[in-house]
Amino acid sequence: MARDKIYLEEVFPSPFMQLWLVFRKTPVAMAGFSCFIFLIILAIFGPVLAPHSPVEGQLNMPLLPPAWHANGDVSYLLGTDELGRDMLSRLMYGTSLTFGLSFIVVIISLVVGVIIGSLSALTSGLKSSFLNHFLDVILSIPSLLLAIIIVAILGPGIDNTVWAVVMVLIPQFVHITRYAVKEEFRKGYVLASRLDGASPFRILYYSIFPNIVDRIMSQATLAQSAAILDIATLGFLGLGAQIPLPEWGATLANGLDLFYIAPWTVYLPGLAILFAVVATNLVGEGIRHALKVSKER
Amino acid sequence: MTELLKVQGLTKSYSDKGSWLNKSRTTVLDSISFTIEAHKTLAVIGETGSGKSTLARLLVGAEPASSGSIFLNGQELKSGSYKHRCQHIRMIFQDSGTTLNPSLTIKQLLDEPLKLNTSLDEKKRTELIRKTLQKVGLLGDHMNFYPHMFSGGQKQRISLARAIILQPQVIILDEALASLDPSLRSQMINLLLDLQQQMGLAYILISHNLGIIRHFSDEIMVLSLGKVIESGKTLEIMTKPQHKITQKLMMDQSFQLRAKKLKK
Amino acid sequence: MNLLDIRNLSIELIHDEENILAVDKVSLSMKEGEVRGLVGESGSGKSLLAQAIVAVLDDKWHVHADRFHWRGIDLLRLSMPERKAILSRDVAMIFQEPMACLDPTTTVGEQLAEAIDESQLSGFFWQKQQQRRSAVIKLLHKVGIKKHSECIKSYPHQLTEALCQRVMIAIALARQPILLIADEPTAAMETTNQGQVFRLLASLNQLKNMAILLISHDLENITHWTNTITVMYSGQFVEAGTTEQIFNKAMHPYTQALVDSSPMANLHLPAKSRLMTLPGSIPILQHLPIGCRLGPRCPRAQQDCVKAPSVSSFHGHKVSCHFPLLQNPKLQKASRA
Repeated sequence: MARDKIYLEEVFPSPFMQLWLVFRKTPVAMAGFSCFIFLIILAIFGPVLAPHSPVEGQLNMPLLPPAWHANGDVSYLLGTDELGRDMLSRLMYGTSLTFGLSFIVVIISLVVGVIIGSLSALTSGLKSSFLNHFLDVILSIPSLLLAIIIVAILGPGIDNTVWAVVMVLIPQFVHITRYAVKEEFRKGYVLASRLDGASPFRILYYSIFPNIVDRIMSQATLAQSAAILDIATLGFLGLGAQIPLPEWGATLANGLDLFYIAPWTVYLPGLAILFAVVATNLVGEGIRHALKVSKER
Repeated sequence: MTELLKVQGLTKSYSDKGSWLNKSRTTVLDSISFTIEAHKTLAVIGETGSGKSTLARLLVGAEPASSGSIFLNGQELKSGSYKHRCQHIRMIFQDSGTTLNPSLTIKQLLDEPLKLNTSLDEKKRTELIRKTLQKVGLLGDHMNFYPHMFSGGQKQRISLARAIILQPQVIILDEALASLDPSLRSQMINLLLDLQQQMGLAYILISHNLGIIRHFSDEIMVLSLGKVIESGKTLEIMTKPQHKITQKLMMDQSFQLRAKKLKK
Repeated sequence: MNLLDIRNLSIELIHDEENILAVDKVSLSMKEGEVRGLVGESGSGKSLLAQAIVAVLDDKWHVHADRFHWRGIDLLRLSMPERKAILSRDVAMIFQEPMACLDPTTTVGEQLAEAIDESQLSGFFWQKQQQRRSAVIKLLHKVGIKKHSECIKSYPHQLTEALCQRVMIAIALARQPILLIADEPTAAMETTNQGQVFRLLASLNQLKNMAILLISHDLENITHWTNTITVMYSGQFVEAGTTEQIFNKAMHPYTQALVDSSPMANLHLPAKSRLMTLPGSIPILQHLPIGCRLGPRCPRAQQDCVKAPSVSSFHGHKVSCHFPLLQNPKLQKASRA
C-alpha cells in the first residue's frame, strides 16, 4: 500500500458527534442548552455567589420592590420579601434546591430504572414480565398525588420529596430501557457479539448501551421537567421544602398572601420555574430532533 | 481430503406456544446429515421456510439443536460453548447494515473477537487487524472509521474480515451476496475464492441465485420443509435434477439461461 | 410521437458548501407501448431520475433539463402544480418493497377503493359505493388475483410479497396510466415470484399498450422482458439501445463489465475461477471524479477521460464514451472523424 491516508477528512465523527453537530445547528436547542448549563452552574455555585443570606433577613427592609422600581435599592436587586430576605439570593439558593435536586432525582431514577429494565430485557418469561410491570402500579396514580401520598406517609421535608419523586419517575425508565434493549437484541451485531463469546453483560455494555443512550437521554429530559414541577408543587403545598429553605415553590407560596402589595415575591419565583422547565424542554426537543434527523440520513 | 465438518442427524423442533394443553411441536429441521472437506463449497438451496437459515444458526451455535451432533475435525461440538466453536465456524449475514454496530469504530469491532478469544497484546492485535483489513481489500487506515461511512460492498467486506480474523475453518454465507450489486458481487466472489485457496476454508453457501451457485459451489444440498431431498455434485444436480421440487427450483432460472442460448 | 422525451436532465443536491450533481445530463426517451429497462447499480441515480419524472422530489433537489416533454407538452414551462397535475394523471409508479408501501392499518380493499378516481363513478351516493366495489374487484382480476374476496378483507402483512406487489400494480392501474414506472419491483422476492411479476407486467404492456420503465440493478434479469435498455453509472448516462444491441454488442466498457458479471456470460468459465470485474468501487457522492465518472476504474481510461464525454449515436445505439468498444472498423473510422 503506497498511501495510507487517501481521504481528506481528518475527523471521523462517531454517532454521538453527529448528534452533537446536528444539535449545534439548531439555534433554539442551543439557546435552551446554554440556559440549561447556566442553571447548572448556578445550582452548583449559587450559594457562593449569592450577595446576601437567603435565610437571615434584614428586618428593617421588608418588602422592598425590585431595583427597577422607584423605591428599589440596587443592593437588593430583585427586592425583598416580608422578612427582609433578598429575593435574588433566595432564588439563587433555590436553584440548587429545585433544579439541582431535580437533576439528582432524575439521575437516581434513571440508574435504577435502567438496571431494572435491562434485567427485565435479559430474562424472559414470567421473571421478565414481573420486573417490567411490578412498578406499573405507580403509573396508575397521577404522579403528584402519589408524591403527596408518599410524603404524607414519610412526613414532610425536602429529602422525603426527593424519594417520592424518584419513585414516581422510575417506571418510565424501566419501560423505555426494556423496549430499547429488546429492540437492539434483534439486530445482527448483537448476535455476532454473542457468537464471539461475549457474556451478556459485555454485550449490554459495549454493543447495546451506546446505541440506546440517546433515547434514554431524551426521556430523561422529559422526566426532569416533570421533576422540577413536582418538587416545586410539593414545596408550594408545604409538603416539600420546609421553612426557611428557599425552594422556589415554597417561596412562591410564601408570597401568595402578599400578592397585591408585593407582586414580585410571586412572579419572580414563578418565572424562575418557567425558565427552568422551558430550558429543559428545549434541550429535550433538540435531542429528539437531532435523533430524527440523523436517523433520516 | 479429510473431512472437516460432519453433521449427523441434526434436528430442530419448536414447541408451539399456542395453548397450555395441546403442546404440538413443529419440526423445522428433520435429521440433516452431510460432510464438508477443506477447500470445498457446499451450497444449500430451498424455498423459504425450508429451514436453511435455521440450519445456519444451528451450525454456528446461535441456537441449540434438539438432537443430532456436529463433529469438527473429529471432535464433537457441544452447544452453548461459544468460545471453542467461534474459532472454527463463523458466519456472514445478509443485511450488512445491521450486522455492524454503528457506535463502534472498525478497530473496536474487530478487536472484540480477538480480546475474547486470544491472548494477544494490544500491539499485536492492531497489527493483525491491519493485516486482515488489507486481506479483504480495504486500507489499514479504515480501522478508525465508523460503519456508516462505508458503502454496502465495503460493509460486507468488513463482515468478512470479522469472520476470518480468528482463522476459522468453516464460513457460512447466509445470503451474504444477495443484496450486493452485480459488479460488487463478482468482486466479493473473487475475494472469497482467493481466501479459500489461501486459508483452506470450507464454505457453506445459502443462496437463491443459481448463477453464483453454479460458479462457486462444488456440491449442492436441496432442502424442503426441513428434509434433505437431494444432494450431490453441482453439475449433476443442475443438469439432471431428480426430485420434483429441485426441478421446479432449477427451472425458473435455467429457463432464462437456455432461452438466452437459443437467442444467441 | 415520443411519449416521454428528456434531454440532458440534471439533478443537483444543494448542500451548504457545494452543490453535488447527483444526476449529470441524462437523456431518456420512450415511445408508446415500449418496455424500457433502466439499469444501474446503487448510487447511479436511477431512482432519483424516476422520482424526478414523477415530480416527487423535495426542495433540496434542483432539477433542470434542456428538454422535458410529455406527449408533446413542454413540462419545463409549466409551474410545479400544473406539472404534477399532468403527470399524476398519466404516470404511475410502483416501488421496491411492496409490503412496506401499503398502509399497514387498513385493509387492502379500502386502499384500492381509495385509489379509484371519483370521475370514473357516476350517480348517487349509494350507487357510487356499489360501483366502487365492483371497480375494485375488476382491478384485482386484471392483475390476476382470482380470489378477490379474501384479498379485499386482508391486511397487507397477511399477504405474501408477490401478492402485495400485484396489489400495488392494481392501485397503480386504477387511474389508467399511460406509463408505469417500476422501481426495482422484484428486489425483495425469490426467483419464482419474480417471474410472476414480470409476466404480469409484460401482459399489461401487450394488452393495454402501456409503456413500462423497468428500473433494476441486474442487467441479466430484465433482458428477457424489455425492448430497449438505458444504462447509467454514478449519475451519468452510459449507453442506450435495443436489448439485443446492449447485451450482445456492448460499446461502453461499463456495459461490457455488467454483461460479463451476469451468470449467462460466465457459463463458459470453468467453475471456481476468477470472474471478470472492474477494480475499485462505486464513488460516493462526496468524492465524485471529474469528467467521466468511470475514469478511475476503467481499464481503457486515458488522458481525455477527465472531460465528460458527449453522446455519440450509431444506428440508434447511443453511447457516451471517448473510446467505445467498437466491433465494426468502418464505424471506428466514422467516430474518429
